Amino acid sequence: MGAFIEVTTAGLFHAAVLFLVAAGLQLVFGVQRILNLACGSFYALGAYCGVTAGSTALGLGVPPLLALPVLLLAGGAIAVLGPPVERVLRLVQDRDESLQLLLTFALVLMLQDAVRMVWGSSPRQVDGIYLAYGQVQALGARVPVWNLLVLLAALVVALGLGAFLKRTNFGRLLRATAENRRMAASLGVDTGRVYAVVFSLGVALGGMGGALVVPSSAATPEMAVELVVEAFAVVVIGGLGSMGGALAGAVIVGLLRAVALVVWPELELMAVYAVVVAVLLLRPAGLFGKPAA
Amino acid sequence: MSGGLRRALVALAVLAVLAAMPFALGEYRTTLLLPVFGYAIALLGINLLFGYGGLVSFGHAMFLAIGAYAAAVSGTVLRLASFEAALGLGVLAALAVAIPVGALCARYTKIFFGMLTLAFGMLFHSFLFRLYDITGGDQGLRVRRPTLLGFEFEDLDKTEFLIGPFYWYCLALAALLAWLMWRLVHSPFGLMLRAQRDNPRKAEYLGVEVARTRFIAFLVSAAYGAVGGAMLAVPTGLADPELAYWTHSGTLIFMTVLGGFAHFAGPLLGALTYVLLQDQLMTWTPYWRLVLGVVLALIVLGCPQGLMGLPALLRARFRPSATARPVPAE
Amino acid sequence: MPATRRSLLAGAAAAPLAGLLPMPAIAQNRPLRVGIIAPRAGVAGTVGEVGLRGVEFAVEKINAAGGVAGRRVELVIEEETSPRETTERARRLALQERVDVIQGIVSSGVSLALGPVLEESRILTVYWDGTTQDGVNETMPRSRWVFRSTDNECEAVMGSLMAIKHWRGQFVTVAGINPDYSYGRNNWAAFIAFLKRFNIEHRIVAEQWPRVGGMDLTANVAALKAANPDLVFSSMLFADLPVLMRQGHAAGLLEGRKWVFPAAGFQHTSLKREFTPAGMIFGHNTLYFADPQASPLAREFVEWYHAKTNDWPHWEADRAFFAMEVWRRGVEKAVQAKGASAWPSNAEIAEAMRGIKVVSLGGPGRMRRDGIAEQTFTQGPTVHDPRYDFPILDPAKITKLDGRGLQKPEGGDFWKWIAEAQFDI
Repeated sequence: MGAFIEVTTAGLFHAAVLFLVAAGLQLVFGVQRILNLACGSFYALGAYCGVTAGSTALGLGVPPLLALPVLLLAGGAIAVLGPPVERVLRLVQDRDESLQLLLTFALVLMLQDAVRMVWGSSPRQVDGIYLAYGQVQALGARVPVWNLLVLLAALVVALGLGAFLKRTNFGRLLRATAENRRMAASLGVDTGRVYAVVFSLGVALGGMGGALVVPSSAATPEMAVELVVEAFAVVVIGGLGSMGGALAGAVIVGLLRAVALVVWPELELMAVYAVVVAVLLLRPAGLFGKPAA
Repeated sequence: MSGGLRRALVALAVLAVLAAMPFALGEYRTTLLLPVFGYAIALLGINLLFGYGGLVSFGHAMFLAIGAYAAAVSGTVLRLASFEAALGLGVLAALAVAIPVGALCARYTKIFFGMLTLAFGMLFHSFLFRLYDITGGDQGLRVRRPTLLGFEFEDLDKTEFLIGPFYWYCLALAALLAWLMWRLVHSPFGLMLRAQRDNPRKAEYLGVEVARTRFIAFLVSAAYGAVGGAMLAVPTGLADPELAYWTHSGTLIFMTVLGGFAHFAGPLLGALTYVLLQDQLMTWTPYWRLVLGVVLALIVLGCPQGLMGLPALLRARFRPSATARPVPAE
Repeated sequence: MPATRRSLLAGAAAAPLAGLLPMPAIAQNRPLRVGIIAPRAGVAGTVGEVGLRGVEFAVEKINAAGGVAGRRVELVIEEETSPRETTERARRLALQERVDVIQGIVSSGVSLALGPVLEESRILTVYWDGTTQDGVNETMPRSRWVFRSTDNECEAVMGSLMAIKHWRGQFVTVAGINPDYSYGRNNWAAFIAFLKRFNIEHRIVAEQWPRVGGMDLTANVAALKAANPDLVFSSMLFADLPVLMRQGHAAGLLEGRKWVFPAAGFQHTSLKREFTPAGMIFGHNTLYFADPQASPLAREFVEWYHAKTNDWPHWEADRAFFAMEVWRRGVEKAVQAKGASAWPSNAEIAEAMRGIKVVSLGGPGRMRRDGIAEQTFTQGPTVHDPRYDFPILDPAKITKLDGRGLQKPEGGDFWKWIAEAQFDI
């Protein structure tokens, strides 16, 4: 029982982070029809900002237990990059979709080195946060509290995002723009502003995901290109553009990896891709997606 | 002079210049040109999909890896020293993978196609990386020095072999495959491929079997990728999983765009420019990816026709009467 | 086979080379150029930096003493990255920079790929590290140009012997968590081979292969804990090891188990006491910074290093120092043999390096005739010491072994050697 709980929470911890990044990816795709290859780069950037903010805060004597909000803020702060990047992407919005894809790939290349310029290329860690939160023991399992808090934070973000999209005025404008940009624009919606906000929100989600993994692992320049692949698996499984899909896909990928590691470690990532292929064969639009044209 | 004759003369002149390069450049610079041939061939295939078919694959590096691993397996496991055998094996293996993958992916276009190919490419990468006992894991497999057309060249050391016989062999093969590709894109098949790119529904009405056309283009580009990959693997003596990583696929698309995907020769120019540019940047700065990223962004934003489109763009700038609307590949 | 055509091609290929071939006895006051290839970024970046410090120390000493056989040494440093890119850079060093020797390489993936290319291109090379058994047997059976600073499995061999020495009879279930590449695979296989060699009844309950640089090991830790082994053998290294340690500590994986980390010394100072319990077996291999029996040279280096970096060095510095030292002594021996008439060729220098004995930072070592070095290795159980914020070796239980007892004999097969050799522990 203890082992079951530990493996499950390990899988869900990973799923929580994946969900944040995938949610950002879905939001941007759902509204702007841009597939953001740089979503992993924002994740990495968030992680590095988390390193800086976390170690600065600890250095200033902030108690480690306040690290969670500090890291969330630091990861979210990279949203300031959203509007200028979105502005550039908008230059090619009416041209072929592949051009936007290429622009985001250019961003991947640039951010990878930008991170190395600022933070150096060796992995960066923050000691003193992860262990300060302690562990909970129950039913023979021992789980780090930090992992549970990350799960909780992702859940709160998911609910908040849902409420924002469904209940607020801006959320309605946003969904209207997603349905039909020209129609929304002719009805007086400032679609430019909607796009800027959406893209920044996507960036912030990725950044927060990155900042949250820093205390337990490390920030590395390679984490950007590695996460993209898993995030893509999540959205293919869940269905492009769907928030529920991001959640379901993240949980499936996270749990699958954790269980594969126990049962058959060689298959870890391959198990994920096998599910991707199976979903494509049986439900090409993903579990929650609308059938694509 | 007719357009066809002029083109043929230009092509011959370029070939002659390239053939003379080992004499003009030093050893090191000549070895630097070797990946250009491998990439040029792979890019010809990619551009069949991208420039002519409108499909951006973010998983095509997989086929280069297949070619490279085929070269490794044919030399070390099957003990076939002949490079032609390695190429044949690579093409067969690439087709064996491309048939199921292509059948699935050809149903989609645009972003979906890009994402699916990325997923399959990474599936293949994790296969190479994880099945250590078969593929050698991250260290990959060794590629032995092959024989060319039955000749061993045993009195040459590796560098002499590479900048001598192997160089001309690759050049000749690249020329041959370029000519074949030229014939293909100017055949009725090429026309169908462009028709489905510009308007799939209309093409369907006109009797083009859209999915089948894409599927065949996918197979051809996979085969070209495998040949290019085998060629890349000989100078480094190694087939490693990095070849299949998705960023390598991105780099391939980058090269195509850099040269100009709307032109037949764009990929060839793109491969040459990219390889030389990267080598130069790497000696200048450790942050060469940043510079490449900026170059890519500038090309996408300012000159989507790539280097081949630059003259037209400049003409349009200085002579406002001429227009430089992006024209798809013809 | 029409020989005419072949000789024509061969001649054509050789033509552009003619002007570039090194002349014998060219100006001997030209400095000797040493190409260094070391990782400077990524998970192994810090390891590479420590190696470069070892080079810096060695070159300072050499040039202060008037150079190698009267010629100063200058460095050309390149970065070690993926196997493919590194191969291209090695070629650049040899063909473009015209270096006299290449030293460096940390990762076995890179060293295995590079080896045959260096051999075939006849480039004199001394590896720092990264020379794992299986691949080497296949790819470089009798190398002429490439020298290796050790067999990479020495640390696994010694770690296995240490585990058996200290804990025989105290464990049955064993698990491995080793990096997913040739080095990790071979280290684990060596450990199991030793358990068999000593007839130790054991059951393997988990084998984990995390990717190098993967960093998130939460799920691996949970899987290991679920398997509940008595003893875990782990050749995890680079930046992944501190992550494993921290996540393992948080999940309660570390307590109540026996741990063998043959490569722990590679990042010893980042394994903080707060999450690294004492009583594990750590490998510090060919350089242990707090060695009570250290030579004056080693003490000088450790202090020099600490003054420069405010950190404590590990064995990569010794590997780099050793590589430079073997080459220096080889050059001097060859110069002496040749007399004043001409500078020796690289083939002559390579021949002179075989069998040479040197004193490196970690103790005495020698370059065997087959181009594999034998050095002194240091391992032992750890304790917490208030002077350091990371565990150090228990001074009373440090074991030092000569490379001779840790390596297969020249030309021997590694696995057969384990099964048949005598080991005294």
